[in-house]
Amino acid sequence: MKTLRLLARLFVGGLFLYAAATKLPDMAGFAVDVANYRLLPPALVPFAAVAVVGLELLVGALLLLDVWVRPAALLATALLGLFTGGLTQALLRGIDLDCGCFGAGTRATWWTVLRDVGFLAPALVLALGARGREVGIRPGGRREPGRRPAGPAPRDRESRSAV
Amino acid sequence: MTAVRLLAHAAALAAAGSLTGIAANGLSPRPARLAEPVRSAAEQAGACKLPGATSLVPRISVAEAAPLCAACAAAFVDARGAGEFAAGHASGALHLPPGEVPLETLFQLERFRTVVVYDDDPASGHADEVAAALAARGLGGVRVLDGAWPAWIAAGGPGESGACASCAARQGVR
Repeated sequence: MKTLRLLARLFVGGLFLYAAATKLPDMAGFAVDVANYRLLPPALVPFAAVAVVGLELLVGALLLLDVWVRPAALLATALLGLFTGGLTQALLRGIDLDCGCFGAGTRATWWTVLRDVGFLAPALVLALGARGREVGIRPGGRREPGRRPAGPAPRDRESRSAV
Repeated sequence: MTAVRLLAHAAALAAAGSLTGIAANGLSPRPARLAEPVRSAAEQAGACKLPGATSLVPRISVAEAAPLCAACAAAFVDARGAGEFAAGHASGALHLPPGEVPLETLFQLERFRTVVVYDDDPASGHADEVAAALAARGLGGVRVLDGAWPAWIAAGGPGESGACASCAARQGVR
């Protein structure tokens, strides 16, 4: 299970960083790709495009670095769900568009939807069960109140009194 | 990690990710313009052209375009074949036949407020196709030359000949 989570983390992290890297050279073009989904008012489109790329960068980096894995995986799942939903509604409405997934020139088809559903599986594995460095440790490295450090559990009051 | 804590961390990451995106956009060679609305390709000029119908891509006359060319105030795009381009084209024009728009071409064109696209025949639709593709990649001020290359030549518009240096570099030709 540990190996499966490691592979899922590396795969999803690498995938998100790659997706962001293909969009960064042409953010104006990616904004048009986002507009082509015809889900958002034109004024919000550039903000959504910029936010998507920023989230891909951050989520990808955190997953690869094994930091805040569960929140990052939760966001990855939400993004992939959003992409899948956006693609599905566009195809159902008969909109012929580039998906914008990995830069320009990727035509959106039902195979693209299936691929995104496939990407959801490893992200879900991480979001539902991963235990990264955040467990018991705050981002600054301090121990969370009420959490005990790693090691053998102390015997509880009842067991001590029984001895 | 409780569900509430997990959601709080995810929300914090979403906010941090959006800020990261704004920073990354500032570093992009072609940043999205946050202050300008972005419309879908279907809502832009040149979209949904029916066969035989008049194109919606705005036109520019030779009389308007020639002074812009002489003053280097507009970019010119030649949508004809490579042989025709090499035989003669508007001064400083880039060669871009219908098809995929290379990123370096977009970088070169977006420095101009007006981009004039022409082909060899007003009825061929090649210029409209290229103009629509440029607009679809977020380029503003794209116009199609009224009367195409024949009208440019007839009016004595500025011209030059030779292969396109940027095309030759892309194809590995020395």
